Amino acid sequence: MLPNRSRLSVLVFLLPPLLLYGIAVLFPIMQSLFLSFFSWNGISDMEFVGLENYVRMLTADDIFWRSFFNALGYLAICLVLQLGGALLVASLLTSMRRGRELIKTLYLLPAVISTVAIAFLFVRIYSIEPVGLLNQLLHWIGLGALERPWLSDINTVLAAVSAPEGWRFTGLYMLIIYAALLSVPQELEEAARLDGASRWQLFTKIRFPHIMPVWITTTIMATTYGLRGFDIPYLMTNGGPGQSSELLTTYMYKTAFTSTDFGYASTIAVFIVIECLVAVGLILFMLKRKADA
Amino acid sequence: MKKLFTAAVAAAAAIALAGCGSGGTTDPSNVSPTGEVKPREISWLLSRPADGAVINIMKKLADDYAKDHPGFALNLITTPDRPSYIQKLETLAAANKLPELFDTDATPFAQQLAKQGKMVDAEKLLKSLDVYDDYRPSALDYQRFDDGSLHMIPFQFELEFIWYNKALLQKAGVSAPKSLDDIPAMCTALRDAGITPIAIDGQDQWPLERYVAYQPFREAGPEFIQKLKKGEAKFTDPAGQKTVEWLAALGKAKCFQDGFSSQGYSDAQNQFTSGQAAMYNIGTWELPSLATDKLNPDVRDDIDFFTLPTTEGSVTKANEFVSPSGIGMAVNAKTYDPLVSDFLKFALAKYPAEYAATGALSPTTNVETAVPANATPLYKKALEMANDLGDKQAMPWDTQLDPTTNGRLQQELVLLVQGNITPEQFTTTMDSTIAQNAPKFFK
Repeated sequence: MLPNRSRLSVLVFLLPPLLLYGIAVLFPIMQSLFLSFFSWNGISDMEFVGLENYVRMLTADDIFWRSFFNALGYLAICLVLQLGGALLVASLLTSMRRGRELIKTLYLLPAVISTVAIAFLFVRIYSIEPVGLLNQLLHWIGLGALERPWLSDINTVLAAVSAPEGWRFTGLYMLIIYAALLSVPQELEEAARLDGASRWQLFTKIRFPHIMPVWITTTIMATTYGLRGFDIPYLMTNGGPGQSSELLTTYMYKTAFTSTDFGYASTIAVFIVIECLVAVGLILFMLKRKADA
Repeated sequence: MKKLFTAAVAAAAAIALAGCGSGGTTDPSNVSPTGEVKPREISWLLSRPADGAVINIMKKLADDYAKDHPGFALNLITTPDRPSYIQKLETLAAANKLPELFDTDATPFAQQLAKQGKMVDAEKLLKSLDVYDDYRPSALDYQRFDDGSLHMIPFQFELEFIWYNKALLQKAGVSAPKSLDDIPAMCTALRDAGITPIAIDGQDQWPLERYVAYQPFREAGPEFIQKLKKGEAKFTDPAGQKTVEWLAALGKAKCFQDGFSSQGYSDAQNQFTSGQAAMYNIGTWELPSLATDKLNPDVRDDIDFFTLPTTEGSVTKANEFVSPSGIGMAVNAKTYDPLVSDFLKFALAKYPAEYAATGALSPTTNVETAVPANATPLYKKALEMANDLGDKQAMPWDTQLDPTTNGRLQQELVLLVQGNITPEQFTTTMDSTIAQNAPKFFK
């Protein structure tokens, strides 16, 4: 229990950020919730339609469901690349003797390049006319049959727009996980090694459980960022071809600012908020249960 | 989240423009406001190239006007990227923060603004300034809404042609098409000769949307799209089916370059000007790159153009095709006052001569376009086409359809041409999309 004076000072310091959070985050969410019950194109009178927007979204909108499943695919690819890649690189780094700083910097580099530059860079990499880097590489290693316009092929476009986002933040999560791995007590590892633990056992029984709290945080961060993914797909393909790389976020944006259907766009926005909350809840639940087991 | 970001952008844009005056007349048909001309800064929200002729000339005219009217300034806020511009315009309209002058096509959204009395009646305005009769009728018609009312003033006049490389056609043993229906077979022959038939900017989506407009314009005239957008005509109609089948055939014949949907404006143009692609559909705004000595010398003598081919039983004539007068300028009725009126009178009288001197086609007929010294013979040939136009013109569909249908059409067109969906699937999807969205916009 804090003495009264310091409780007051805690409140004084916490209140401004809380207010800011309320104005910048909670208020727009509430406003979206309010708007989602209306039909409004920005210049017409607002018309109350009750749950009509929700019914349309869940039962009558094929693009909504398409975007939802695309968003899950996008999330899966991003998570594998970001968390899987980060864990792999971080683990390898701990066993390296020299050049750690260089590798760390190189991996972190994409995180500081502007999104627009990354999007344009990858449009060139995937291009087929003129031949881009990826198709050229495939050609050189004798896999010419796989050459294709990656961003125009409806079967590859989703993976193609997810990869840059995954690639971009791998370094960032690698740094966080690497820092956590460094904090694993050396004596524990040594003791395990003396007892004859293999490298794999060392990792699964000692290292990973030790970095679990950090792992949960990074998973939540990566998941919420992944669910909000917008800029790279929007810049690279604008959701196309057709709806093959349309995500909920790009669909919401288009509904609001191209179709000027602000009421329905707010309905999608509310869904994204709920989706993020559910995802975080699920992660916490699963990982807690695993930790308790 | 992202919504927050866009709201912040909108708010910032609104704040930036909040300085624009308010008050003045709100009657859109009152084009001659009385009172004193009080110089102030006015804004023009526009979607034109930042260093293009229109902006440069209007800047100069505004400076000239400011010499006699100290305190006057024209603040030009341009967003050349059209989709971004439209989003900005619609957001500002929603916030009721439109500046004195703003660009828009004759879209259903603009028509709603006009119906709400937010745009000055341009026909009355031009007549009151005594310049109405100077304008090319087709330049004004392009700006009109379906009910014939005019609320935007054109600053350009363009003709769209299909440019082609004679040497590449010859290599493939084909000649310029007599009919639209000849094009798929032409593409096959060109592909067999290892040539990309048509270079297209798929990223911006409007270039492909031009192609869907061609067959119905020939088969059923300009009325088809006017009916289609309201749900009164359908893609299942003969003209609709003709365009769907034709586009599927273009796709099957691999008319467009591989991976066209992710290639941009300059990618497409480079393919044509570097002699890799045989055809390229673009307007006279590209004359400085296609008909002057700036064009790659290797292809310069091989380039020519033809206008939109007709078809058998075509109801529109060969001299009727896409001849847009570009995005138009609307005058905000809420901020229209003696100053705006006086400035427009000054600027619109001097604009055509200045514009024609840059080598571009003026929307008026009272001036002659100067052919640049470095032009190839094609330049003059292209300009002369403007003297012999029919009464009808093919409207680009992206200015006609409601925004949701338009977005869906652009997506489905790519799928149709890539062969990812069948013509039947395309027809069903588009007809139901129109049925769902058109009533909201055209009630």
